[in-house]
Amino acid sequence: MSELSIVGKPLPRVDGKAKLTGRAIFTTDVVIPGMLHVKLLRSPLPHARIVSIDTSKAEKLPGVAAVITGKDTWGIRYGFVDTPNYPAEERPIAEDKVRFIGETVAAVVAVDPDTAEDALDLIEVDYDPIQPVFDPREAMKEGAPQIHGEITRNTSCAWEDWGVARKSHSFTPVNNVAANVLIAYGDVEKGFAEADYIREDHSRSPGTSHMAMEPHTMVASWDPFEEKLDVWMNHMAYELKRYWLHKTLGIPITKIRIHKTYVGGAFGGKAPCFDYEVIAGFLSRKLCKPVKIELTREEVFSSCRNSHRFDIDIKTGVKKDGTIVAQHCSVIVDAGAYKCSAPVAMFLSHAMCDSCLDRKNVRHEGVAVYTNKNFNFARRGHGAPQMRLAADSQYDQICEDLGLDPVEFLLKNLRKKGDVIPNGDRLDSYGLPEAIKKSAEAIGWKEKRGKQRDKNRGVGIGINGMFSGSGYWPFACTAIIRLNHDGTITLMEGDCEFGQGADTTYSQIAAEALGLTVGDVTLISSDSELCPMNYSNFLSGGMFVGGGAVYNAAMNLREKILAVAAEVMRAKPEEIDLKDKTAFLKSNPRRSYSFTDLMRFHIQKHMGDPLIGYGHKKAVPEIEFYPSLSRGTGRFTDAYGFTASTAEVEVDKETGRIRVLKIVVADDCGFEINSAGIRGQMISQAVQGMSDALYEEIMDDEGRILNPNLVDYEIPRAFDVPEIEVIDCSDYEPKGPFGAKEAGECARAAVISAVVNAIYDATGVRTMRIPVTPERMFNALKEHGK
Amino acid sequence: MDSTKKVIKLKVNGEAYEVAIKPRMTLLQLLRNELGLTGTKQACMDNSCGACTVIVDKMAVKSCSILAMQVNGKEITSVEGLASKDGKLSPLQESFLEHSAFQCGFCTPGKLMSSTAMLEEMPDPTEEDVRRDMEGNLCRCTGYVQYLEAIMDVVGKRKEAAK
Repeated sequence: MSELSIVGKPLPRVDGKAKLTGRAIFTTDVVIPGMLHVKLLRSPLPHARIVSIDTSKAEKLPGVAAVITGKDTWGIRYGFVDTPNYPAEERPIAEDKVRFIGETVAAVVAVDPDTAEDALDLIEVDYDPIQPVFDPREAMKEGAPQIHGEITRNTSCAWEDWGVARKSHSFTPVNNVAANVLIAYGDVEKGFAEADYIREDHSRSPGTSHMAMEPHTMVASWDPFEEKLDVWMNHMAYELKRYWLHKTLGIPITKIRIHKTYVGGAFGGKAPCFDYEVIAGFLSRKLCKPVKIELTREEVFSSCRNSHRFDIDIKTGVKKDGTIVAQHCSVIVDAGAYKCSAPVAMFLSHAMCDSCLDRKNVRHEGVAVYTNKNFNFARRGHGAPQMRLAADSQYDQICEDLGLDPVEFLLKNLRKKGDVIPNGDRLDSYGLPEAIKKSAEAIGWKEKRGKQRDKNRGVGIGINGMFSGSGYWPFACTAIIRLNHDGTITLMEGDCEFGQGADTTYSQIAAEALGLTVGDVTLISSDSELCPMNYSNFLSGGMFVGGGAVYNAAMNLREKILAVAAEVMRAKPEEIDLKDKTAFLKSNPRRSYSFTDLMRFHIQKHMGDPLIGYGHKKAVPEIEFYPSLSRGTGRFTDAYGFTASTAEVEVDKETGRIRVLKIVVADDCGFEINSAGIRGQMISQAVQGMSDALYEEIMDDEGRILNPNLVDYEIPRAFDVPEIEVIDCSDYEPKGPFGAKEAGECARAAVISAVVNAIYDATGVRTMRIPVTPERMFNALKEHGK
Repeated sequence: MDSTKKVIKLKVNGEAYEVAIKPRMTLLQLLRNELGLTGTKQACMDNSCGACTVIVDKMAVKSCSILAMQVNGKEITSVEGLASKDGKLSPLQESFLEHSAFQCGFCTPGKLMSSTAMLEEMPDPTEEDVRRDMEGNLCRCTGYVQYLEAIMDVVGKRKEAAK
């Protein structure tokens, strides 16, 4: 491998032809003969006891195959966080109580979706309403209605199954607190005492929808003879989904096969276990028939996961020159009716952000609170966007208060390349300084900042850091590469293709390492039965961990090919290179052997061994099992991706409407394996970040979502997109494949802060609550007499 | 036969079909469930996202919002009908591939159909025209930029060829 010819290039996506001709199979396209259809009855009340359910009329409707309720699935538990201290409390169907509007209370399976839908109307449920609570601050008060009683465990959790010996116990939330986190380092009191200036602010980020274009869907097919469940589903990593199906349904894990389908967007929103997945598997096995469930868009909003609403109190102490000396963050995460990833989100809101700036003395406390609303999960950045909004808008205001320049402020407080940060992570690559400088330059910072208020225009900046996978056990990935008779390769790697480009970039990595082209790679991915172990495609670990495993497998095969070529050519392996399916002597390229010949030779001489490459990678090698979420100790990740973003906006004071003129995203992803793909990821996050800043909010009233559709929940359309400039600030990551690390999540948070800070620069009015809708902007301007 | 069903005749991607359908069936359901043309996607079912766009007699139409009965006697083109049968992509498909104009691919068939119809109708659209025209097609992955570039590239090449 001398010069790179396959990685680093904007090569066309390998899934392109399938996706452009309608031949790409998504789960919604899967049809199995004799397939039945499932519809779910959802709770109309936010908090109620279920007195009785009468399904007899529904069962009699012609075409209905079965109706099930919580009585059938009683006791089944699962959850994203399922640890000895915090047992899982999610259930496929409500048992004696409903906890949010949209919770499943019964499931109908019928010959077609219309019949199943009709049958839902015939189910009679008698509810006894309980006082609900919607606001986390209210929910934490003494005497508030308690959403959960004792949460007990009736099956072992993953920690026990995976050999992390800790004894499980039950958990009873007090005042609806699902989990706490307290992370501290340095001496915060001393830090504040030394500060010349201290500022306290409050920021709020709303619940938002991931809004993947493909609504959640699953097909399950139970084979009663083989006692095996075949599954096609919306997921982001099959390994966890298969584990949850195995645990909830009691089917041996190898008797569940998750087949590859393309996933129509995810952004975090398809990773955890869902009620409908357990129900589909349960019904298929009960009836010994294939079943399909396709959620409506409204169900996706009201009963699948949304992003966490965060309320953050942030207090920062600085020296006169802007040096940060202490910070205290107090975070309330609105978990919703079940905790799901809320304990993780409040930990990550610290962990991801700690990589960016040196704040010296830090205290980060968080509480995740149950409320009677649909519950939440990671969305692109998982806790970082909410925290960065609070921090970056406060820094912007501190600069205003002290007469400092925000760009200079950030540069002054940077960490340094090679730093070991308080939890032990080392910043081997740290492209943030360059990203800040270049993003500022590209927006025209010096000429524009603070100088365009007369034109109602302003510029702002935001930053972020993001994991490249984390130490959550067993965050590791394996790849196998088979050399084929014609000198091409077959790559087996589990990552799911949900748009991020894994299929393409992994093919590029393998091809580059072996002197091949992408066309020489046959890819087998995202199939639990055909691929080796795969836990990498979350917390942005895809490229670093999954791609790293592919790189290691390719290098392993490369070594084997070089060894056999050396044997054949009577040369040393280091004297040989690989190109165009041949091995050749570097000193005399005409002396070469084709891969086909080498493979034949090897099979003949070495007991039939056909040359197979094997590679694996663990996200953080030093972590034995888990980092501590509640104390924030232990290594988090082996490499951080970084982004700085700047934006320019124009505010119409008459209407409060904000127009974004330009967004700059300067990103450090280590190395751009596919530059067109990276540009796509950055533009994607620029538009999502802008949308978060200005448009997106799940509106609810008494626990009912008011805008559960694509008309009332506004996301940008083609016409709304501003000029977007993407700048590559990659800092080579020595542990990543060809130097690559995180790319897909970091930028969104930086863009949100950049837009919000630009609004301040344009108006002189600070808004720390997003989205800054025209109404909020108009009222804020009026309030400040502008 | 179910007495509520009605027979309609239509042409889809150049092939003639005669199908008995229930009156409340949408064109989207007809294509996906009866004709097995699953390239056309359903994402909202309320006429707001454009993922299900097909071309009906040269017009881009959201197939979730019209009844199959309404296309009796008409000619439909769906995403499966864009490339030639022997595997040659249309210029627009080629351009989408070249510009990395899609990610998850779920809304892509709808975008391809809307922009194909637009390019038929408008000989020389500006980027502004294209943005306006593509407003009905929602996308969550791409942020729109690369596929607008892909369309404008086709417009540019077409102008070049006409010279």
